[in-house]
Amino acid sequence: MQERRPRVSAGRQRRSRGGPRESRYFDSRRAEKRGASCGARQRLLRGCWPGLAALKCINNSVTENSDIYNPPRSPITGRTDEMCIKEQGPDMPLSRLRKAIEESCPHLAGSVHIRLKLMAEGELKDMEQFFDDLSDSFTGTEPEVHKTSVVGLFLRHMILAYNKLSFSQVYKLYTALQQYFQNDEKKDGIDESDMELTNTEDLEGKMEKEELDAPLSREEEISCSGPLSQKQAEYFLSQQASLLKNDETKALTPASLQKELNNLLKFNPDFAEAHYLSYLNNLRVQDVFSSTHSLLHYFDRLILTGAESKSNGDEGYGRSLRYAALNLAALHCRFGHYQQAELALQEAIRIAQESNDHVCLQHCLSWLYILEQKIFDSCVLLEHSVNKSLHFGLPYLASLGIQSLVQQRAFAGKAANKLMDALKDSDLLHWKHSLSELIDISIAQKTAIWRLYGRSTMALQQAQTLLSMNSLEAVNVGVQQNNTESFAVVLCHLAELHAEQGYFAAASEILKHLKERFPPNSQHAQLWMLFDQKIQFERAMNDGRYHIADSLVAGITALNSIEGVYRKALVLKAQNQMSEAHKLLQKLLIHCQKIKNTEMVISVLLSIAELYWRSSCHTIALPVLLQALALSREYSLQYLASETVLNLAFSQLILGIPEQALNILHMAIEPVLAHGAVLDKGCAMFLVAKCQVASAASYTPQKKVEGSMKKSSHCLYLIPKLRTANQPLESAILNLNEAKTYFAKVDCKEQLRDVLYFQARLFHTLGKTQERNKCAMLFRQLHQELPAHGVPLINAFK
Amino acid sequence: MAAAAAAALSGGDFSDLREIKKQLLSVAERSRERGLQHSGKWASELAFALDPLPLSELPPPPALTEEDARDLDAYTLAKSYFDLKEYDRAAYFLRGCKSQKAYFLYMYSRYLSGEKKKDDETVDSLGPLEKGQVKNEALRELRVELSKKHKARELDGFGLYLYGVVLRKLDLVKEAIDIFVEAAHVLPLHWGAWLELCNLITDKEMLKFLSLPDTWMKEFFLAHIYTELQLIEEALQKYQSLIDAGFSKSTYIISQIAVAYHNIRDIDKALSIFNELRKQDPYRIENMDTFSNLLYVRSMKPELSYLAHNLCEIDKYRVETCCVIGNYYSLRSQHEKAALYFQRALKLNPRYLGAWTLMGHEYMEMKNTSAAIQAYRHAIEVNKRDYRAWYGLGQTYEILKMPFYCLYYYRRAHQLRPNDSRMLVALGECYEKLNQLVEAKKCYWRAYAVGDVEKMALVKLAKLHEQLNESEQAAQCYIKYIQDIYSCGEIVEHLEVSTAFRYLAQYYFKCKLWDEASACAQKCCAFNDTREEGKALLRQILQLRNQGETSSAEIAAPFFLPASLSANNTPTRRVSPLNLSSVTP
Repeated sequence: MQERRPRVSAGRQRRSRGGPRESRYFDSRRAEKRGASCGARQRLLRGCWPGLAALKCINNSVTENSDIYNPPRSPITGRTDEMCIKEQGPDMPLSRLRKAIEESCPHLAGSVHIRLKLMAEGELKDMEQFFDDLSDSFTGTEPEVHKTSVVGLFLRHMILAYNKLSFSQVYKLYTALQQYFQNDEKKDGIDESDMELTNTEDLEGKMEKEELDAPLSREEEISCSGPLSQKQAEYFLSQQASLLKNDETKALTPASLQKELNNLLKFNPDFAEAHYLSYLNNLRVQDVFSSTHSLLHYFDRLILTGAESKSNGDEGYGRSLRYAALNLAALHCRFGHYQQAELALQEAIRIAQESNDHVCLQHCLSWLYILEQKIFDSCVLLEHSVNKSLHFGLPYLASLGIQSLVQQRAFAGKAANKLMDALKDSDLLHWKHSLSELIDISIAQKTAIWRLYGRSTMALQQAQTLLSMNSLEAVNVGVQQNNTESFAVVLCHLAELHAEQGYFAAASEILKHLKERFPPNSQHAQLWMLFDQKIQFERAMNDGRYHIADSLVAGITALNSIEGVYRKALVLKAQNQMSEAHKLLQKLLIHCQKIKNTEMVISVLLSIAELYWRSSCHTIALPVLLQALALSREYSLQYLASETVLNLAFSQLILGIPEQALNILHMAIEPVLAHGAVLDKGCAMFLVAKCQVASAASYTPQKKVEGSMKKSSHCLYLIPKLRTANQPLESAILNLNEAKTYFAKVDCKEQLRDVLYFQARLFHTLGKTQERNKCAMLFRQLHQELPAHGVPLINAFK
Repeated sequence: MAAAAAAALSGGDFSDLREIKKQLLSVAERSRERGLQHSGKWASELAFALDPLPLSELPPPPALTEEDARDLDAYTLAKSYFDLKEYDRAAYFLRGCKSQKAYFLYMYSRYLSGEKKKDDETVDSLGPLEKGQVKNEALRELRVELSKKHKARELDGFGLYLYGVVLRKLDLVKEAIDIFVEAAHVLPLHWGAWLELCNLITDKEMLKFLSLPDTWMKEFFLAHIYTELQLIEEALQKYQSLIDAGFSKSTYIISQIAVAYHNIRDIDKALSIFNELRKQDPYRIENMDTFSNLLYVRSMKPELSYLAHNLCEIDKYRVETCCVIGNYYSLRSQHEKAALYFQRALKLNPRYLGAWTLMGHEYMEMKNTSAAIQAYRHAIEVNKRDYRAWYGLGQTYEILKMPFYCLYYYRRAHQLRPNDSRMLVALGECYEKLNQLVEAKKCYWRAYAVGDVEKMALVKLAKLHEQLNESEQAAQCYIKYIQDIYSCGEIVEHLEVSTAFRYLAQYYFKCKLWDEASACAQKCCAFNDTREEGKALLRQILQLRNQGETSSAEIAAPFFLPASLSANNTPTRRVSPLNLSSVTP
């Protein structure tokens, strides 16, 4: 790091030697070039001014306290390095510079300031004197600065550049310094008296002047007011670009960034990179027109630089042509113009093929996959892409392909262990090439897959892994990479997991964080919006506030139409509009079967079954449920499977075979209690209690004990203790208590009421009047609060 | 000055040419006093076009006020410094002067001094990134002072003009427009203010909402801005009425008309007018670049060479001269030299738009696509509305075989010139290459509807129909094409005419319309490439006819107007808005 400065400066000069591109053609070629490099040199000087003064003073102080100078790496030089690093940004105002020096070396700040003041308020000769003195520091028996040290190199560079300046340029440099110093003073003045500068003018004049003077608002941290040198501009761009990529909220707001860029481009229209940043910036605000414009402008410019940098002209810009077309395809894809994107992609592929650019072709292939994905299942394409990418040594593309493949296979119900193996293998690849972005994606994907399989604890663990992992990027750049899609995905899952467990406060906290991190207009904001609404929807449904749920449906539909239709059906179902719900669900079912959205198919099947048993057609519900069960087993969607089993058990209960129901319940109860949402846990326990009661009623006491004993060997948790004939009822009460706590957690008042009713009846049977009365009272309270239930109590399972 | 404004005749009233002449003469004098050379020149040119006034009617020299008299010495001294381009010195001696004239000169010299310094700076440090960063330091101070004066209503017409210029230089376009309008109200005779207004108004809508003074100067302004906004018809009308009003000798108007004809690509008319102009004003350099463009388009080598030599003799360091020479070399296919001269023109005036575009064309000729792209981009940067540069960029990418990519550029060009068939044909070709035939058809049809310059749209459309097996439409298009070709009476040999006849012959043959078929087949025989086919077809027709009834009467039906087709299927020329399904960024 400490060697960076001189190299940077050297680069600055080298770059500027080339002069403006068109000078190549002019008659007065040489004059042109000379002028250009002079200008660059001058800028170099100006850019380094304050730093230089600081260094000089440091050197002075070094000589003053020569005892600290003795150790080879004294604290002072360490600080100097630090300062060099700090100086790499755009020109900072004097006050900030002073603060920076104070931080690392407090006693220097004063002397730096005095030195600057002397020069700025003195005459030209003071500056000249400064440079004369500077060259003295190398001479002498014990030079202050060693010629080949970092500082020495830097100083020599400076002196050389200064000596080459023409007189008018020296004068310009001096006035620039004066202005720099005065600006700071002026600012101080404004801070103190606020009107000191402007008291000569009327208020409006002041306003106008300010809008002229300050194109940038003051609160902006990074502002590049005034001219920037090439390096400074590049630094600004790269900084903003990496912020956009990694942490958008820290970057400048779209409007102000655009202003900066326009400013930059106004001064240097040849600065192609700025166009690219402007393209990225326009993407942020979803402005298709300006972003296309900027992108094409960028490539128009780049094509020329490419041609110049490579001697074999054709290859140079041919390459950027291909990528231009490819980028255009990406742009259209981003805005959802798939047909356009395909055309652009075809073009890119054609040009890449013509020039045998396999790397570019690979990129095209993976884009092609993304595009085709919208239309049909394209595993073949993907496999090709992975193979080829590995062959051409493009690990990034390869593992991106693997990840896509895993995702697709997971939806297609391929064996879970194989998928996990594949992910593990690609993880190896990531760590080997330290592709931190892909590591994040991989973890996010694992979270999603675990959730798909219904293993919420595993999902939770993966999510936490990603969130508490130190990104590799942090080591490299110093920017925490945290507004990527994977973070959004993981956080959304986390929020939903918390909501499922009834921790609504925590969930909303997470969502609040998401909102901050991904502002509503950013790319991944839709994710959290959807999850936010889903969680709200669930809560509203639990509370029985169906009108609120209904109002949320529109929002969900806007973000995800399938989900929206499904939710609409749920609301209709809850409002007892059975036939409408049924119609909607049938339509949805056909659609989902067509697009092979198995998860949704099963959910829809379950809802349809529920509709059937609500209308007391349990016999019709059974085949539907069995179909759902078969599907969820096939796709190893365990969570949905156990929910199906619960439904099945309920149907059996109603059909009068409670033992059978209890038998299959023990299959489902374990995963539900381990991974299920609180609501489902409650429902399951409630159902168990019902089955227990029903089976207790249908057996003779003798049989009852036997049956219960037999069962107890299987599922001890269902019936903890079996002693007397009333024991099944007592254990049912215990189970009901558990269900009650679960329901209370998620505020399901309706279910709570049902449980209380049930419990009261049981207590009544057992003759425990006091408990019965308590339950009855609670029931009464709830019953008054809630509207009457549409379905007979005993028939409802959910 | 107030008197002059009041005396200005109302819009469109040119009855009193003497009065106009008087006004012109006096404003020319006053512009010169203030160092506004260009406005002075314009007024004098126009005055020269009118009949001379007798001595008695010559406008008296403007009366001196008390203030003028007080500042007279300082003014006289400063004016001579000003004329010698010692602006700072002039400003120094004028400080504190109260009279309008002296004050204007004071501010104006400060402004010019700032501009001059800016130019010098640019030469001094032309680093790749500092380009354009140098700015006129004086502008801000001038603005503050002028705005104070403006509030106090102490600015006369010239002062307002200067205030407007300062605002424009500071990129405060809206304020600048307001000020220029005010300046035009106060002093309608000052052409500079009108001209600045022309540069700031970007579309017709803006023009509509301006409240302009109702004087005869407004007519000149409107004509000028119509030309700028490519509303050529309206512009020509205005100029014609100005000529009718008695300005027939004005070289300014003649040149503007020529430029207008050039813009609508009426080359012959434009050429004849330019020739006329050169006769009247042989040492004129302005607009000669446009003239050379016309000569270039018509490949008139000797004339272009003569023009180039002539201009070179007059002043070889003028932008226009360089441009003419560049065109000359380009016509001689010496593209490197041509590019060199365009470079030189740009060196002389970096904001000279035409040269960037022309340079782009040269690079295209030299197959240096990347340099061409760069040049076109520069042109666009100077003026976003330069449709030729957009079109050139599109062409470049088309040559690089990127039809989708170039769509964007053609679309931009098309947006700027919605009624130019060339862009539409180019767009159509791109769509055709992308196999989006529906869009392509729309483009070709529209190109035909807006008046096809190259007469190729119909053939292309016909071929598309042919490709899509829509034989009826294809035949219609060919018929219309042939009608077009014959109706414009050009004897220019069109390659596609034979194709058209061949297709039509076959089409009629298939429809069993023997008479039409044989007529077309006979036409085919007139062309080399289709002669054999035509003869074969004729033989076949004869055979088939003999087989069927032997029709005796050979009806000489007009071959290109079969009643069955022309009656109900004549496409209307009405143009519906072009609706390309794809997103048009």
